[in-house]
Amino acid sequence: MACQKFCVALLYCEFIYLITAFNLTYPIKLVCMPPNTTYDFLMPAGISKNTSNLKGHDEAFFEAKSNSSGTDYSNLLYKTTFHCCFWREEDKNCSVHAEGIEGKASVSTVNSLAFQQTGANWNIECWMKEDLKLFICYIEPLFKNSFKNYDLKAHLLYVLPDVLEESSLVPEMGSFQPVPCNCSAHGGCECHVSVPAAKLNDTLLMYLKITSAGMVFQSPLMSVQPMNIVKPDPPSGLHMEITDSGNLKIFWSSSTLVPFQLQYQVKYSENSTTSMREAYEIVSATSLLMGGVLPGSSYEVQVRSKRLDGPGIWSDWSTPLIFTTQDVLYFPPKILTSVGSNVSFHCIYKNGNKVLSSKKIVWWINLAEKIPESQYDAVGDHVSKVTLPNLNATRPRGRFTYDAVYCCSEHECHHRYAELYVLDVNIKILCETDGYLTKMTCRWSANAIPSLTGSTLQLRYHRNSLYCPDVPTIHSTSEAKDCHVQRDGFYECVFQPIFLLSGYTMWIRVNHSLGSLDSPPTCVVPDSMVKPLPPSNVKAEITVKTGLLKISWKKPIFPENNLQFQIRYGLNGKEIQWKMHEVYDAKSKSASLPVPDLCAVYAAQVRCKRMDGLGYWSDWSTPAYTVVTDIKVPIRGPEFWRIINEDITKKERNITLLWKPLLKHDSLCSVRRYVVKHNTSLKGTWSEDVGNHTNFTFQWTEQTHTITVLAFNSIGASFANFNLTFSQPISKVNIVQSLNAYPLNSSCVILSWMLSLSDYNLMYFILEWKILNEDSEIKWHRIPSSVKRYYIHDHFIPIDKYQFSLYPVFMEGVGKPKIINSFTQGDIEKLRNYTSIYVIVPIIISSLTLLLGTLLILHQRMKKLFWEDVPNPKNCSWAQGLNFQKPETFEHLFIKHTESVTFGPLLLESETISEDISVDTSWKNKDQKAPTPMVSLLLTTPGPEKGSVCVNDQCNSASLCEAECSTISCEDESRRQPSVKYATLLCNSKSSAIDDEQGLINSSGSKCFSSKNSLSKDSFSWDIETQAFLLLSDQHPNIISPDLTFSEGLDKLLNPEGNFSEENNDEKSVYYLGVTSIKKESTVFLTDESRVLCPFPAHCLFTDIRILRDSCSHLVENNFNLGTSDQKTFVSYMPQFQTCSAQTQKIMENKMCDLTV
Amino acid sequence: MCGSFGLQAQEAHLGRKMHCRLLCQFLWLWPYLFCLEALPIHKVQYDTKTLIKTIVTRINDISHTSISSKQRITGLDFIPGLYPVLTLSRMDQMLAIYQQILTSLPSGNVTQISNDLDNLRDLLHTLASSKSCPFPRARGLKTLEDLDGVLEASLHSAEVVVLSRLQGSLQDMLQELDFSPEC
Repeated sequence: MACQKFCVALLYCEFIYLITAFNLTYPIKLVCMPPNTTYDFLMPAGISKNTSNLKGHDEAFFEAKSNSSGTDYSNLLYKTTFHCCFWREEDKNCSVHAEGIEGKASVSTVNSLAFQQTGANWNIECWMKEDLKLFICYIEPLFKNSFKNYDLKAHLLYVLPDVLEESSLVPEMGSFQPVPCNCSAHGGCECHVSVPAAKLNDTLLMYLKITSAGMVFQSPLMSVQPMNIVKPDPPSGLHMEITDSGNLKIFWSSSTLVPFQLQYQVKYSENSTTSMREAYEIVSATSLLMGGVLPGSSYEVQVRSKRLDGPGIWSDWSTPLIFTTQDVLYFPPKILTSVGSNVSFHCIYKNGNKVLSSKKIVWWINLAEKIPESQYDAVGDHVSKVTLPNLNATRPRGRFTYDAVYCCSEHECHHRYAELYVLDVNIKILCETDGYLTKMTCRWSANAIPSLTGSTLQLRYHRNSLYCPDVPTIHSTSEAKDCHVQRDGFYECVFQPIFLLSGYTMWIRVNHSLGSLDSPPTCVVPDSMVKPLPPSNVKAEITVKTGLLKISWKKPIFPENNLQFQIRYGLNGKEIQWKMHEVYDAKSKSASLPVPDLCAVYAAQVRCKRMDGLGYWSDWSTPAYTVVTDIKVPIRGPEFWRIINEDITKKERNITLLWKPLLKHDSLCSVRRYVVKHNTSLKGTWSEDVGNHTNFTFQWTEQTHTITVLAFNSIGASFANFNLTFSQPISKVNIVQSLNAYPLNSSCVILSWMLSLSDYNLMYFILEWKILNEDSEIKWHRIPSSVKRYYIHDHFIPIDKYQFSLYPVFMEGVGKPKIINSFTQGDIEKLRNYTSIYVIVPIIISSLTLLLGTLLILHQRMKKLFWEDVPNPKNCSWAQGLNFQKPETFEHLFIKHTESVTFGPLLLESETISEDISVDTSWKNKDQKAPTPMVSLLLTTPGPEKGSVCVNDQCNSASLCEAECSTISCEDESRRQPSVKYATLLCNSKSSAIDDEQGLINSSGSKCFSSKNSLSKDSFSWDIETQAFLLLSDQHPNIISPDLTFSEGLDKLLNPEGNFSEENNDEKSVYYLGVTSIKKESTVFLTDESRVLCPFPAHCLFTDIRILRDSCSHLVENNFNLGTSDQKTFVSYMPQFQTCSAQTQKIMENKMCDLTV
Repeated sequence: MCGSFGLQAQEAHLGRKMHCRLLCQFLWLWPYLFCLEALPIHKVQYDTKTLIKTIVTRINDISHTSISSKQRITGLDFIPGLYPVLTLSRMDQMLAIYQQILTSLPSGNVTQISNDLDNLRDLLHTLASSKSCPFPRARGLKTLEDLDGVLEASLHSAEVVVLSRLQGSLQDMLQELDFSPEC
């Protein structure tokens, strides 16, 4: 659109002026010529052609045609003024005016094409900023190299006349205001002129003076109306969206400063794999709907603006917006919504180069759940829509606070997804108006809303002038309220001052970049949310005579509505048990309440609330307490009894009255003094004040003496009192036939009695008891006359004897008591039995429990011992080929063994043996369940009592032997594997190390030590391991004590199933147990083979017991006592079963296996 | 003919029965309709009186509002005097002036009272509406345009006098509201 410009070229002269009007294409080109060039001017009619000599004539006006942009201007004279003309493409001629010598100007038209080829040319651009305050002209040389080496200065000279009329004169030279222009290094200059708002529609006259290299280029005079050349700023906020129908829509923001409507030009290009297009659109709205969006495409958009109606200048193009679409397009890509709402997502799915048909698109949520197809809609061929109705709140899954909605083909889903944020914005706002009706505090919690990054919460409200609407709605004209987070996580907003009867409609707005959500609005009227101040001046007292708890209060000044009150009261203490009382009378200021205990301190509090139920209960008032004072006269006088001290010598009887102090509930509420009132037939009635004492002694002199004890408080004397008449005749009346005392336990005794008929008026009984034969305190109780049985609760000591006396008290006097000095026969024994039962029974139960526990533990440990220590016999060579499931396949081994054991002792050297050797053989049949029998052998040199064998059924029986000897142990580890039978030979070297050799020889026949002893000394534990050693001295290998005999029992034990045959021994020299003689040479064991038993291979023997010490130190220490017998030579028969350690066991097994090779 | 007459008579009888039924239904509903109408007005009247009492108590609670009856304060004639207010419109006019003055007072104590007066005027409008009274919202006095200057010179006097007179006026209003004032 061409810009219409009126340019006025005025003759720079006082007299002559010329105004030329022409359409100016924007920007203007200013063309200037060197001064020494002569041209032909196309003069208009009536104006003479003037080819003036321009040299040295600064008045001359000319148009020149320069040769080129490279014209050397340095040779030109200083201060030469070049007059220039405007040029435009449509007009090939350039209008100029020349200033003649006579001061007359001439106007010529020259061929402008010639100008622009050779002259000094500039682009001039002038416009008004959109704020309508600043007029800007920008000058830029067309050929930038022309003036790059020279100082470029520019001035804009302007005048802004109030009214420019055609007939008016051109302003004088001096009226033009020069404005310096800012010239930058690249040659451009910018001139700013402030234009008052009132003169925007006035004509601005101006011309430019450009100074460079000593030359002055002066533009023709220009006139312009600023309002007509407003150039808006480029549009901002450019963004694109995909509409529900799958079209691309461009949005931008309009300038708010310009006072007129704008039109916009949109330049956009689409670059997709299939097409490429570019288009220009001019619209008046701030958005443009483009065509259908294509997945996997790139869009570039720019927008500029210009005045819609009237002249104006196009703004610059906005910054280009590049929008690239993915292969799978979701629109909208993210949705923020509230619970219960319905949302829809759209999708275009491009698979490779092909866009999927909308009917083939399926939807999934969170990649876990397929959305039912009933919720799909096809919007066009390629756009699929899914609707999710009645949404539930999104449950955060890890760090994902949204649900991922996937658009998929039938069998695959693209990794891109749409995000769905569903928030539960049902936030409850609670408001409370203070007791002064000046402030309303509203609280709400945001805990229900999951933290959504970038979201903010805001309470907004709208006030109705009076009351709330029937249905609160969100108003467009609402105000935000500042709320502050409290420690409890609640937001608190304060309205002060308030409109008491206005309706405040409030809601919480969740602001997020994805949009904003509003909670359901709620409306409150401050007047109906009042929490009154608590009643003041609360007092509590127990009223005198009426005996009621009276609580009084003063109502708070606000609210003026009728109030109901609530009273709570209770006995004062650490934890008061409150009782409630409601008062619905608004005018009431006090309440009287019955209380059970008139002599206690009561605490009372009052609170209030509006009678109509609106608002809240006030806080409780500060508690008021009653003061204990005398309310009434004492209900009764004290119960009293007497002690008669009779002095026979003086024939005087002193009576000491005893009474218990009155309790508060009887005295109501205190006793100031007691008064004893006497009545005798002779002296009449008199009283004695005894103060606060609880006993009183007087002399009984007359036949009958009646006593009454009265209690006084601040109000008066007790109302009902007890009398006691002392009468000698009556004291002989006996109506209690029998009295029995039965102890229940140490704290309770039952008394029962039988009465006989009497003519006297029985008032009550007095039961008196005390420990017999002690001057202990007499205790007594008053018992009503109707009672036949009475429980005494006291601390009765079973070993003490008690005296119980039952006195009948008649109106006429105290009768004869029935006295018993002990419990009824057999009762004491029972009591003692009870006591012993109580002590003994728990002890017995505890002992039984302990015993049972011990047995159980023992049982468990024995099981563990037997079964954990049994190795796998198949690991040994001798067991190869044996089937332990079939006892018949290996029983012969033990049969042979038994025989060898028979000859075992014969292998021993005939010399002195320094070691105790025990042979323990254990047999156990499959069905045998008796404890394993133990054979204890003590091998010594031959002697009178040599070779005695100690046999006992129990391996560890203490009665085995009393004398000290080697440990004899046996072990049947096949208790649960009856098919396995074996024997264990064991000898303890300790005894040999300790005992004197000779002594051992002499006493060996009788020296068998008990296993108990052995256990204690050597810490030999069957629980830990089973150890069996046969220790042989380095004596003659084949000598066995001839005197060594076995007892019959032992024979039986060793030959339970028959004897071993010699042949078997010969045939199989290696048996289960090999015993041989070792000759000691230096530290080497020398062994001789035995005919009976297989010898220990030399490498199997323990040449150094330290092997064991390392691996099983306790075993070595316990059984070999190596500390004292390191130098001894012995042969140890190692049992195949060891549990001392894994290493030891392995060593042992290796040795044993070697033995059996 | 007779048959048609009988039919018409029967129809007429049926029509009468229908009318009677409708009338009965209307009469049955009438008390409820009356109650539905009466309840808000009753509440408005109650709230009006309660609010007046509240404002009076508020003024009482401001300690310096008591004024000696022996002295007459001059120069504050623009504050409405203690004259009987008979109609709702005059009440509203009076309250508008008081509200205008209170709004001009810089004291924070009276802001709440000014808000209360605003609510009170709304209540009066509702009462007037219930009586179908033409009740344009009253405006403050034009003569009070230079109120700021007066108040600046005599702030204390103005506050004491305006609160004192307002209290008296409200107490008068409270009494008159019992007699159902005219428009």
